[in-house]
Amino acid sequence: MTSPMTEAPRDAVPGLEVTALHAGYPGRPVVEDVGLTVPAGQVVAIVGPNGCGKSTLLRTVARLHRPESGTVRVGGEDIWELTRRRAAHRVALLPQSPRAPEAVTVAGLVRYGRHPQQGLLRQWSKEDENAVRDALEATGTTGLAAERLDRLSGGQRQRCWLAMVLAQHTPVILLDEPTSALDLGHAVEVLELVREVAATGRTVVMVQHDLAAAARYADLLVAMKDGRVVARGEPAGTVDEALVKELYGLDADILRAPGDASPVVVPRSRPLR
Amino acid sequence: MTGLEPAGVTTPGAGAGATPPDRTRAADVTPPDSTVLRRGAYSWLLPRRSALTAAVLVPVLAVLVALAVMASSTGMSLPETLSGLLGTGDPGTVMIVRDFRLPRVFVGLLVGAALGIAGCLTQTLAGNRLATPDLVGVNDGATAAVVAAAAGSTTGMVGNWWLGPVGAVAAAVIVVLCAGGAGSAGYRVLVTGIGVSTFLGAVGDLIMSRENDNTAGGVFLWAVGSLNGRDWGAGTPLSLVLLLLVPLALAVGHRLQLLRFDDDVASSLGVDLRRLRAGALALAVALAGTAVGVGGPIAFVALAAPVLAQRMAGPTRVPVTGSALTGAALIAAADALGRGAAPVELPVGVVTSVLGGPFLLWVLFRPDRATGKA
Repeated sequence: MTSPMTEAPRDAVPGLEVTALHAGYPGRPVVEDVGLTVPAGQVVAIVGPNGCGKSTLLRTVARLHRPESGTVRVGGEDIWELTRRRAAHRVALLPQSPRAPEAVTVAGLVRYGRHPQQGLLRQWSKEDENAVRDALEATGTTGLAAERLDRLSGGQRQRCWLAMVLAQHTPVILLDEPTSALDLGHAVEVLELVREVAATGRTVVMVQHDLAAAARYADLLVAMKDGRVVARGEPAGTVDEALVKELYGLDADILRAPGDASPVVVPRSRPLR
Repeated sequence: MTGLEPAGVTTPGAGAGATPPDRTRAADVTPPDSTVLRRGAYSWLLPRRSALTAAVLVPVLAVLVALAVMASSTGMSLPETLSGLLGTGDPGTVMIVRDFRLPRVFVGLLVGAALGIAGCLTQTLAGNRLATPDLVGVNDGATAAVVAAAAGSTTGMVGNWWLGPVGAVAAAVIVVLCAGGAGSAGYRVLVTGIGVSTFLGAVGDLIMSRENDNTAGGVFLWAVGSLNGRDWGAGTPLSLVLLLLVPLALAVGHRLQLLRFDDDVASSLGVDLRRLRAGALALAVALAGTAVGVGGPIAFVALAAPVLAQRMAGPTRVPVTGSALTGAALIAAADALGRGAAPVELPVGVVTSVLGGPFLLWVLFRPDRATGKA
């Protein structure tokens, strides 16, 4: 078993470039002056307390929320200058608890990932077929293809959603808390899958609540608080007691995992009153 | 960790090949109920189930049309009807069949198809089977316009057919503006629509209550939905509108499937939701408004046709064609029943209401085999 921390290939062309991004709602800035450059093939984890602007940042990068200023570039192109369909060729998003059409099968769901490439004259190309088949294989859901999504377990469902996003064939993939509803086993399964996806040359940005998981599976950790980036860097060196204190106002011990020395956060117990 | 393609793969494709052998490896990922047609860079999916449904519905429709043309309280036999149709019968029969019944049945089919498609669009937009065009004020807007125009006349005749669509579109525009734009969530539009409809309905009632019995009677016949006296003159504008709008509705239908996801997923799959919602709503209002202008606010067709078509097409499709055919069949059947089964001619709208209500209850409460839900 190779370590998930294995360096991903560092390309010269940045997969995703976010510069001086400001976003929010009238009178309420949510994301302030965020910059981020992620090479292709890397996994970025965005961490931070609830309401720190992580999800708004992700939605802005996904072209769902128009920023007040700043740019989001994928492969050098500003996604806000593309049509929505063109943007969907470059960025795919898996929201936090997505809702699927009633009675859809796994293959049916994954086929929707090809929608940006389809049209009246191009309804189901060979390329679509291969993309869907590959996405099912990559996520280990080939055997579930004919099953109905709503009859699967949470872990299986999440892999199917990932397959849909993979089938979209975008250089950038955004995941909003992809493991928050999963048990430990399934969470690790999904995170390993995320690493495998990045290894094929795609950029993955995920919002992650679990600092330890973020540190173990990401190449770059970005910590946000009150809409601003407060820390960023290589995860093992970035997660420390001061960061946990700053983000969550919590005293914690940082232990090192015996296997790969990745940081594990253990909140200190407070005396019970 | 079972690695996929290691570093070095430049295409952002999925890493096929390195996955451990799987017993179901070559999964068939083509839509199971469709036939693929490919030619060069072009590809099409022919939905077999929908095609089969259409293949069944068209002959059913033909039979219903024949029945509707034959139907009358006095009775007309099939040979007699045929002779009228072909022009070989006696001049009276020929006139009745060709100048009265045929155009009326034809108009009924178009009205039914328009209402069916409009209902299909609004139900998909709102994600609710009870959402029909009349909920955005189409029926009450059309009725208020027609009633207001007829108010001055002493003959009790209903004025020009185009007043209906004008009233319908005006009402829908008011609803959409009050709801904060057509791109806003379907729920908001519907709630506003209920409010505006109720108000417009009251305005219509107020005008009608001040008219003499003669005018009120004429308007009432229109307001329950009737095909009585509709001729080729009414059919022409309706056919033109349908010729223009049905292809658009078909094109939009495919994209409307994406509305069954939440907004964020649909948007990230490349759908411009504001434009899609606004376009589909405009199509629905235009189709329903024209239908109501010609046939009056015929109840239940826009509600029942898409529900039935959905049952036939399967839960994952947006059944635009099926709704059109089903809507047409429902009107033809109601027209035939209204003239053939009762001693006095019943307006189509009354028949659809009387039969449509219980029928729809049956459909709605019968658990869906595909989804297990009621």
